[in-house]
Amino acid sequence: MPELDVSTTVNGRPVEMRLPTRLTLADFVRDRLGLTGTKVSCGMQVCGACTVLVDGDPVSACSYLACDVDGREVLTVEGLADGGELTPVQRAFVDCSALQCGFCTPGFVMAATALLRDEPHPTEEQIAHHLDGNLCRCTGYLPIVEAVLKASRAGGIDE
Amino acid sequence: MSELRVVGTSVPRTDAVAKVTGAAVYTVDVTMPDMLHARVLRSDRAHARIDDIDTSAALALPGVVAVVVGSDLSSLFPRFGHIVPDHAILAIDKVRYYGEPVALIVATDLMVAADALSLVDVRYTELPAVLDTDAALADDSALVHETGYSGVSATPVVVSEYSHRNVAHEVERGWGDPDGAFAEAHLVVETRTHHPMLYAYAMEPYNAVARFTDGALEVVSTAQHPFMVARDLARVFSLPLSQVRVTAPYVGGGYGSKSYTKVEPLTAVGAWATGRAVKLVLDVEESIYTTRADSADVVVRTGFAADGTILVRDFELVLDTGAYADNSPLVLDKAVNRCFGPYRIPNLRVRGKAVYTNTSPASSYRGFGAFQGNLAGETNIDQGAERLGIDAAELRRRNLLLRGERLMPGLRGMDADLVADLDLLVDELDAGPAPAGRLRGVGFGCAATDAGAVPSSTALVKMQSDGSIVVLTGSTELGQGSRTVLAQIAAEELGLDMAAVRVLQSDTATTPFERTTGASRTTTLTGLAVQRACADVLARLRTAAAEVWECPVDDVAVRDHSIVAGGRSMSYGETVRAWFGPGGGEVVGQGVVRRAGVLAELPPFWEIGMVGVALDIDPETGQIDVHQLVTVADVGRAINPVLVEGQDLGAATQGLGGALTEQLVYDGSQIVNANMVEYRIPRITDRPRTFTSIVAERGDGIGPHGAKGVGEGARNPLPGAVAAAVARALGVWPDSLPLNPEHVWRLARKGISQRSGT
Amino acid sequence: MLPPFELRRPVSLAAAVDLVATGGTPYCGGTELLAVMRLGLASPETLVDLKRVPELVGITAAHGEIRLGARVTHREAAASDAVRTHAAILAAGAGLLGNVRVRATGTLAGNVCFAEPRSDILTALLALDASVDLRSADGARSVPIEDFVEGAFTTVRADEELLEAIRVPARSGPSAYVRFAPAEHPTVTVAVVATGDGCRVVVGAVGERPELFTFPGTGDVDPTAIAERVDITEDLNGHEDYKRHLTAVFVGRALEQMGVADA
Ligand SMILES: Cc1cc2nc3c(=O)[nH]c(=O)nc-3n(C[C@H](O)[C@H](O)[C@H](O)COP(=O)(O)OP(=O)(O)OC[C@H]3O[C@@H](n4cnc5c(N)ncnc54)[C@H](O)[C@@H]3O)c2cc1C
Ligand code: FES
Ligand code: FES
Repeated sequence: MPELDVSTTVNGRPVEMRLPTRLTLADFVRDRLGLTGTKVSCGMQVCGACTVLVDGDPVSACSYLACDVDGREVLTVEGLADGGELTPVQRAFVDCSALQCGFCTPGFVMAATALLRDEPHPTEEQIAHHLDGNLCRCTGYLPIVEAVLKASRAGGIDE
Repeated sequence: MSELRVVGTSVPRTDAVAKVTGAAVYTVDVTMPDMLHARVLRSDRAHARIDDIDTSAALALPGVVAVVVGSDLSSLFPRFGHIVPDHAILAIDKVRYYGEPVALIVATDLMVAADALSLVDVRYTELPAVLDTDAALADDSALVHETGYSGVSATPVVVSEYSHRNVAHEVERGWGDPDGAFAEAHLVVETRTHHPMLYAYAMEPYNAVARFTDGALEVVSTAQHPFMVARDLARVFSLPLSQVRVTAPYVGGGYGSKSYTKVEPLTAVGAWATGRAVKLVLDVEESIYTTRADSADVVVRTGFAADGTILVRDFELVLDTGAYADNSPLVLDKAVNRCFGPYRIPNLRVRGKAVYTNTSPASSYRGFGAFQGNLAGETNIDQGAERLGIDAAELRRRNLLLRGERLMPGLRGMDADLVADLDLLVDELDAGPAPAGRLRGVGFGCAATDAGAVPSSTALVKMQSDGSIVVLTGSTELGQGSRTVLAQIAAEELGLDMAAVRVLQSDTATTPFERTTGASRTTTLTGLAVQRACADVLARLRTAAAEVWECPVDDVAVRDHSIVAGGRSMSYGETVRAWFGPGGGEVVGQGVVRRAGVLAELPPFWEIGMVGVALDIDPETGQIDVHQLVTVADVGRAINPVLVEGQDLGAATQGLGGALTEQLVYDGSQIVNANMVEYRIPRITDRPRTFTSIVAERGDGIGPHGAKGVGEGARNPLPGAVAAAVARALGVWPDSLPLNPEHVWRLARKGISQRSGT
Repeated sequence: MLPPFELRRPVSLAAAVDLVATGGTPYCGGTELLAVMRLGLASPETLVDLKRVPELVGITAAHGEIRLGARVTHREAAASDAVRTHAAILAAGAGLLGNVRVRATGTLAGNVCFAEPRSDILTALLALDASVDLRSADGARSVPIEDFVEGAFTTVRADEELLEAIRVPARSGPSAYVRFAPAEHPTVTVAVVATGDGCRVVVGAVGERPELFTFPGTGDVDPTAIAERVDITEDLNGHEDYKRHLTAVFVGRALEQMGVADA
C-alpha cells in the first residue's frame, strides 16, 4: 500500500509518521493520534462534524488526505482548551446550552473559532452563512447562534 | 412543597465541558486491545435467493481474519427482534431488501476489510419483489417471509394470524356505533394523507464493539435500550442474561432510531467467529438502510354535528414496515392509539396494518406512530373547521378532552389542561403581515400521546463515606440531558451540591434494569426511581444512626440534610463512617418503579404536543421561511427549564424537517437519496426567525415534583401545523409531505387556478 | 474508504505536466475527486497533487483581464479585490457555493474540470466569457469556457492536459448573479452581464451544462423566452415545468437586481 513520510504539527505538537496515502485526516487524528474529539458523520463534506483547521482554514477531515498536512499545522478541538481553560467559544457553547448529544459540537466549535478569527464581530447573518455547512440534529440551532454571538462579545477566539 | 434549591433551576449540563473539549467518549471512540475491524457486504437486490457465496478470494487477502455468512450461524439462534424474531443477522437463504447484510468481513485493518468487500462473490437468483404496500397486499403477491417466527415477544404486542401473509401486524379498535353516527352527522369530512419514509439521522452512525471474555459477551454500542439489546444477544448465543454485558457511553443522538437491536448481533458474531474484539461502524448510507421511519397512508373520515362537536371518527392506516418487523408492530399500535385524539370521540373505528415489503426495515423515530397519524387527523379537523365555518381553534376547544376525561376506555384520564394550553399557543401566533411578495400562513396542531412506555425502572443511590453520591441507572444519556436532570433530582432530595452527585448510566452488568430510554419517560419514571432510591438511602441512614446511637429508629429523623435524634446530629457522611467504622463503607438505596400504585394505570402520563407556526411563502418559487415557531411544553414541572426548551426546539425542528424537506425516495429497489447530500435536514439558515417556548407548569405530573416528560411532544403535531399554514396561505390542502418548494409551487398554482375558475 | 493510490507532489509546473502526461490524475482540493473515489466511481493509480506547484498560485489583474491560477480556491476568489471589482458575479458565486470548508479547499480549476452540471462557477464564467489555459507536454492552448464544457462531467480537456489558469475579461458594467438552492446543489443559477455590445444571460443548474443566451441590450432580455428554450434535466430538485418556471422567475430577479425595470 503506497505510503509517504509526513511531518506536521498537530495542536502545537510536532508529529512525524509514515502514512498510507489513502488515509484521511480524520482517521489520522482519531486512530493514529488518539484525538477522537473530531467526529465523522456524513463522510461527504456536508455535516461539518469532522471540521478541523489546517493552517487556520476549516476543512472536512473526512474527505482530506492526511498526507496533505505535511509541512502544515493542524488544530483539532483538543488543541483549543490547552491547559484546561476553555476558549470563549467553548465557554459560550456551555453557557448557552448550545449542545445536546454533542456529536456535532467539536465541528461547530472549530468552525466558529475560524469565523471569529476572520470576523471578530459577525452579524447573525454572517454566522448563519458561515455555519451553514455544519449540521446539528438536536438543538434547532438557535442556541448555537446565540453562543457564537456571546463568544464574539466575550472577545472571540483567544483565552 | 418546600422551596426547591436545584430542581426548577437551569443548572449547566454536567456533560457540557466534556462535549466542547472533545473529551466525551462515544462508542465510535471506543477501542479494545487486539481489536479487529469489520465491514459488511450488503445485498444489491431487493429480493433474491442466495445460490452461493464464494469467500475464498476475500479470505486469501492478507489481513482478513474471517468472512462470516448466514449459513455459518447454524449453531446460533441466527435472528433477532424484540417483537417478532424475524430479523436475520446475516441473510439466510435469501435477501429481502437492497442493503441487507450478506457477509461480514473481519480484518486486522479497516482498509483491508473494505478492500475485501469486492472479493466476495455472491450468486443470486432474482425473486419477484414487493416494493410497496399495494404490491405486498395484492392477492398473489410474493411473500417477504414464508414462515412465521416463534419466540417470545418482549413487548405488549400480540402477534397472531393476519389477513394477508405480508402483514406484519394488524389492529382494529373502536367503540360505539360508527356507522349510525355517520348517518346522523351534519357534515362528514374525508381526508387522505401520505406520510413519507424518514431517516432520523442521529449524527453518530450505528456502531458497536464486541468481545467475549471468559465466555461472557461484552458489547459497547450506541443502543438507547441496552437491556433490550442484551436480551436479543443472550438468545442469539444461548447465554444467560448475566453473561451478556451491554454498555452505552455517550450516544451521538438517538431520537428513537437507536432503540432496539441494530448492529450488535453482527458485531458480536464477528467476535464469536474470530475469538477477538471486533468493531463495526456503519456509514450514513448503511445506517439509512438499517432503520427508517414507516411511511403511512391514512384515510380518515369525521362526522361533525352542526356546532362542530365530533360525533364519530373512522381511520384506516397502512404502514410500510419494510423487510423486517423491528418495532413496527408497536409503531402501528401507537399510530392507532394516537391518530384520533386528543378529542372526545363518542364513536370510533380505527383499522391499521403494518405491511412487510422488500424495502429497508422501519422502526421507531421520535414520536413514532404519532406524527404519521396526526398529519391526517389534524388536517381533517382543520378541513372540518373550514367547511363548518368555525374557527379552527374554537372547533378544537369544543372537542378537546377535559382534565380527567378518558381518550380511551381503560387508559389514564387526561392529566393536562388542553384548552388552556391551546389558548396559550394561539395567543402567541403572528398572523401577519408578510414581507413583500410573500404570503403568511398560520397553522397549529394538537396531540396527546400515551407516553412513558411500560413503567419499569430501578435506580440505585450509593451514599459514600464523604457524603457524596453515585446514582446508578440504566437510562441512557442521548443528549436529552438525563445525566443532569437525574443529578438535580438526587441533589434536591439529599440536599447536596451538584458537584457531589455523579450519575453513571447504561451498563447492563452494573446499573440496574431500565426498560427503555424512550417515550419521553426518563425524567418522570427514572426520576421517580431516583427519588425513591434517595428516600431509601435516608431510611437506611436512620437505621444506621439508631444502631450507632443505640436508640429506637423512630427517634431518629432527617432534618436539614442531617440525621438527628434528641440533641445529637450527624451528617450523612458521618453516619456512614460511624456505622461502618474505620474500614469505610457505603450505604446503598434502591428505588423501584413498576406498574403498581399510582403507576398502575397506563400510560404513566400523557405527553402533550401543542405547536404553531407562521410561515412566509414565496408563491413564485414555493420556498418557505419559518417566520415563527411556538411550542407549549405541558411538563407539569420543568426540572431544568433550559433543557425543556431545548427538547421542544429540537423536536420541533425535526418536525419542520419532516414537514418541509425530508423524505427517503425509493426508485425501484434502491433509495436514491441515501446520503446527507440529498436527504436534506434543517440547517442553521433554515432556523425559525422567532421562537417562543411556553412552559406550562401546573405540577400535575406523576413524576418528581409534579413533572411529566418532554421530548416528543413538539414533534408530533408539527407536520399538520405546517400543512394547515400552507393551506391557509394558498387555499389548497396538501395531502402529502414534504412541502418542498416544488410541491408548494404546485399547490400555489392549483390555488390560483381554482380561484380564477370560481 | 478510499482505494489505494500513489500520491506525487511535484514542485514545478514542468514536473506536474510530465506526471500527468504519464497517466497521473491531477488533484488539487480533492473535494470532488476524493468523493468520487470513495464512491468507487474512480480509482486512479496516481494522483498528482498540484498544491505545491508555484506557477499555479494567485490572482493577477493585467491587460484587461484577470488570471486565476489553478490553485486558487473559492475563498480566495470571493475575497479578491480584483475579482470583486472586475468579475463581481464570479466573486458572488464563489462566495455562496457549497460551504465554508468546500470554499476553503476547493479550487475554481477543479470545479471547471469536473464540470458538475450545477456548477455556480461555470455559470459565472460563461456569462463573463472566460477562457481556460491548458498545458500538456506537447504545448499549450486556450479554450473559451463555452467550448470547454461539452456536457455533464465532460470537457474537451485531454487526460494529459493540465488546466493552468482561468482568464476572465475584466468588466465593470452592470451584472447580477442569483441562485436558488433549497437543496445542497442549486436548482437554478442565473448570471447576467451587460457588456459594451450586448447582454449575456446564462442559466445554470437546470440542465446538463449552463446555457448562454445573448441579447442586444438588457432591455431585450425575455425571461419567458429563455425559460422555453433552455434544456432541462429532471432530478430530485424538480420536474421540467417547475424548472422552466424557476428559470423565468430567476432571470427576472437577476434583471431586477441589475435595476432593469419591467423585468
Ligand atoms: C458538499 C459540496 C457542495 C458543493 N456545492 C457546490 C455548489 O453549490 N456550487 C458549485 O459550483 N460547486 C459546488 N461544489 C463543488 C466544488 O466547487 C468543487 O468540489 C471544487 O471546486 C473542486 O475543486 P478541487 O480543487 O477540490 O478539485 P478536485 O477534487 O481536486 O478535482 C476535481 C476534478 O478536476 C480535475 N482537476 C483538478 N484540478 C485540475 C487542473 N488544474 N487541471 C486539470 N484537471 C484538474 C481532477 O482530476 C478531478 O477530476 C460542492 C462540493 C461539495 C463537496
Ligand atoms: S463527516 Fe466530514 S463533513 Fe460530515
Ligand atoms: S448536539 Fe446532537 S447533533 Fe448537535
